[in-house]
Parts: sequence; structure tokens; C-alpha cells
Amino acid sequence: MNDMSRTESALDTQTNKITARGVQVHYGANHALRDVNVDILDKTVTAFIGPSGCGKSTFLRCLNRMNDTITGCRVSGEIKMDGRDIYDARIDPVQLRAKVGMVFQKPNPFPKSIYENVAYGPKIHGLTTNKAEMDEIVEKSLRRAALWNEAKDRLDSPGTGLSGGQQQRLCIARAIATSPEVLLMDEPCSALDPIATAQIEELIDELRSQFSVVIVTHSMQQAARVSQKTAFFHLGNLVEYDATATIFSNPKDPRTESYITGRIG
Amino acid sequence: MMSNERHIASAFDRDLEGILIMIMKMGGLVETAILNAATALDTRDDELAETVRRGDAAIDTLEEQINLEAARVIALRGPVAGDLRTILTVIKIAASLERCGDYAKNLAKRSVLLSQMPAIAGASGSVRRMAKAVGLMVSDALDSYVQRDAGFAAEVRQRDLEVDQMYTALFRELLTHMMEDPRNITACMHLHFITKNIERMGDHATGIAEQVIYLVEGKLPDDDRPKDDITAARAPGIGG
Repeated sequence: MNDMSRTESALDTQTNKITARGVQVHYGANHALRDVNVDILDKTVTAFIGPSGCGKSTFLRCLNRMNDTITGCRVSGEIKMDGRDIYDARIDPVQLRAKVGMVFQKPNPFPKSIYENVAYGPKIHGLTTNKAEMDEIVEKSLRRAALWNEAKDRLDSPGTGLSGGQQQRLCIARAIATSPEVLLMDEPCSALDPIATAQIEELIDELRSQFSVVIVTHSMQQAARVSQKTAFFHLGNLVEYDATATIFSNPKDPRTESYITGRIG
Repeated sequence: MMSNERHIASAFDRDLEGILIMIMKMGGLVETAILNAATALDTRDDELAETVRRGDAAIDTLEEQINLEAARVIALRGPVAGDLRTILTVIKIAASLERCGDYAKNLAKRSVLLSQMPAIAGASGSVRRMAKAVGLMVSDALDSYVQRDAGFAAEVRQRDLEVDQMYTALFRELLTHMMEDPRNITACMHLHFITKNIERMGDHATGIAEQVIYLVEGKLPDDDRPKDDITAARAPGIGG
């Protein structure tokens, strides 16, 4: 057990990718997130768990300013990525989202070909105008998303024609095509069968050699399987944040214990 | 931090309670076996010794049932945190109790042999007192388990020191008898094995108390367990 955790931690960096201090979110009069302080490590999978409405997805959306698009949503406090405030007026949210990619609960490929789904991000961000380079980006992204073998002979067919699990991997390929530094995943497997889920989880584990991955999940087993760090949110508060092995074997806060063991908290 | 609330899935609570009932039943059988075996030795009651020997099968069966049930809960419920520690500790405690049952059975076997030999003055009474102390340690350790009382468990753990002292005293006594009259050697050797086995039962009771501390606090006590078994140091080959 000790040797295992040592091996795990040997893979982890201790560099902070994102630091959040005193983050508060209001939706109109509703105080959705209260004073969240958290350091998200680079090249690490961080899981956010907690009951519905606890604020975990809200916090996830703060990390790439997706909350900007919601009217009445107010974010205060400080979120820095690599030491730079992402809510700084000089930061372009569109550029930020190229660096902080996102994958959603339901696979949502564009009604375009598989190729164009992946090429879309690099194109609008002007990463390349060269056809050969674009081909390379598409192939590399599909390979990293473990979809290349299944998709290479049908790159021109519509992305929506793929199976659910393949569509989700296509969305991941699309998200990583812009070479983001952080990948946010909001319940990426909740619409998938166990096999597709296992493939996505394997993919997440591979992706963490390159990025910091933050995943919101309702499946505690999934959080335990894929993440190295786990944060438990409850009623808008970050209750406990620790190594995943600690959260699932010996949590400090009784609310965490009640939640993960399936008791009424 | 353990939670005492009920699970949302009440069947999970029933599973855990079922396992706890089995471990308590097993503990009760083991405690009775220890006390009866020591009584049989002291009163030269071969019939009681035979009852202890036959009773060991029920203890073994309970251990098997506990392990099967624990495996089922792990497979079906995926226990974590306090629930996981409950299952892990129950498996270890069942193994400790099973060993204690074996020692009691062994005591009963030797008691039947010893009842054919001349009595060693005072020895079987001392063995019985030691067995009583160990039987109480086992039952208290299990009470602390059910009550999840780490403080009580720590107290039980300290009592192993007394058992070790009793063992050392008996060891010297038996040695004296053997030196005084070599015809005592066979009986004294049997009595020594019995004493050593009771001392081992004390170690198992201590182990159970340590599992309680792990269950409640999430980590084993890190200080060294109290020991006063000087024979191991004085006579190599006997310790263990």
C-alpha cells in the first residue's frame, strides 16, 4: 500500500497549475459557491465529487470562464493559472478556453465530419493554415483520444454517426487538438456504457502525462479510479481536498465520510 | 473519522450488522473454549476437554462464513473509508479468533494427556488464572470493536503486559519443577506449551485491539506493543 502510493506520487509533479483563492459565485441571489481555496496540480487528475447542486460544476466552469456566458452569474475571488489571473480584463476568454479545454456530459460533436470536428479548434485559433500540418494535428489528436484506428477510414463521415463512446472520444480529440494545458471534464462518462467508460478512463490516465485534468463525476468509484487528488464539495463549500487514496480510505471530515460511504449527510 | 449514521441503502447496514453478529458469536465461542479448556485442565475433566475439542469445528466454520460474507460485501457494495476498514478488520479479527480457537483445542488435547500424569503443584491453577485474564482480553477487545471504542481498545492492549508477566512467572516455576525432579519433565513440557499458547492468545487479543484502533482512527498505533516476555531474550529458540 505504501509502496503503491509512493509509485503514484513519483509520477506526480507538485507544481501548481491553477490556484484559486476565496472564490465566490452568485447566480443572482443564490450564493452557489462559498470561499473556495484550492491548488490544482499540473500533470495530475483532480476529481470534484459531491451531491447535485454542491457547486462542483460551477467551480469547474469558473476555471475556463464558462460562467461568463451565464447571465446573472457573478464570480469573485482570484483564480490564477501559471501565476496569471484568468479574470484579468486583458485576458481573452476565447484564448483562455483554447488553453483550458472542456468536455461535457453528453457527447456534442458538431454536425460536421469527424475530420472537421477535430480541425475546428486549430482552425479558428489559427494554429495552422497548412493542410498537411492540419492532417497531422487531426491524426495526432485522434490517436491520443484512442479513436484513430476506428475513425481513420471514415474521416469524412459525420461525427454524429459514431457510437456514444466514440463521439465522446471525438469530443476529447477536439478538445485536445488545440494543445490545451488543462482539460476540464464535466461528467464525461455519465452517458456511456462501462466499456466506453473504461476506455475514457484509460485515456484520462494517459492524458495526464501532458496536461492537468480536472473531472467532475457523480461516480465515486470513477473518482477513485482515475484521480490522484479529490475535492469534496457540499452545499457550495469545499469540504475536503486531499490525495484520492486518503479521501477514500480515511477522510478527515465526517461529511466526506458520510457522502462517500453512502450515508445521509 | 467514523460515521455512525445509517446507509441510504439499508441492505448495506444489514450486511454489516450480519457480519458483526457472526464475529461476536465467534468471539463468544472462543472465550468459552479458552475458559473451558483451562477448567478441564485444572479439574482434570476429560469430558469437558473433549467438548472443547469438538467445539473447534464451529469456530472454523464461522471464520469461513465471515470471510465469504466479507468477500461478498466487497464485491457487491464496494465499501470505502470506514466501511472498508470494518470489512478489512473483520477478516483479520476472524483469523485471530480462529487461531485462539486452535490454541484452546490444543490445550484441551494436552489436558487429556496431563490428567494421566501426576499433578504439578500449583501449575494448573496458575494456567487457569492466566487463561481467565486472556479470555477477558479477547471479550473486551471484541466489545471495544463493536462499540468502536479506541480508548477501551488501547487499555486492553496494555493488559498484554500482565499476561506476558504471568507467562514469565509460570515459565520459571515449570523450570524449577523440572530441575527438582526429572520425572516432572513430560508434564512440565506440556504445561509449558499450554502456557506459551495462552500467551500467544494474549498477542492475538492485542492484535484485535490494534485493529479496533485502526478501524476508528484509520491508522495502527505506531508505538511498540508492551512486552515483558523475557524468556525470548534469555533462552533463544523458545521465543516467538
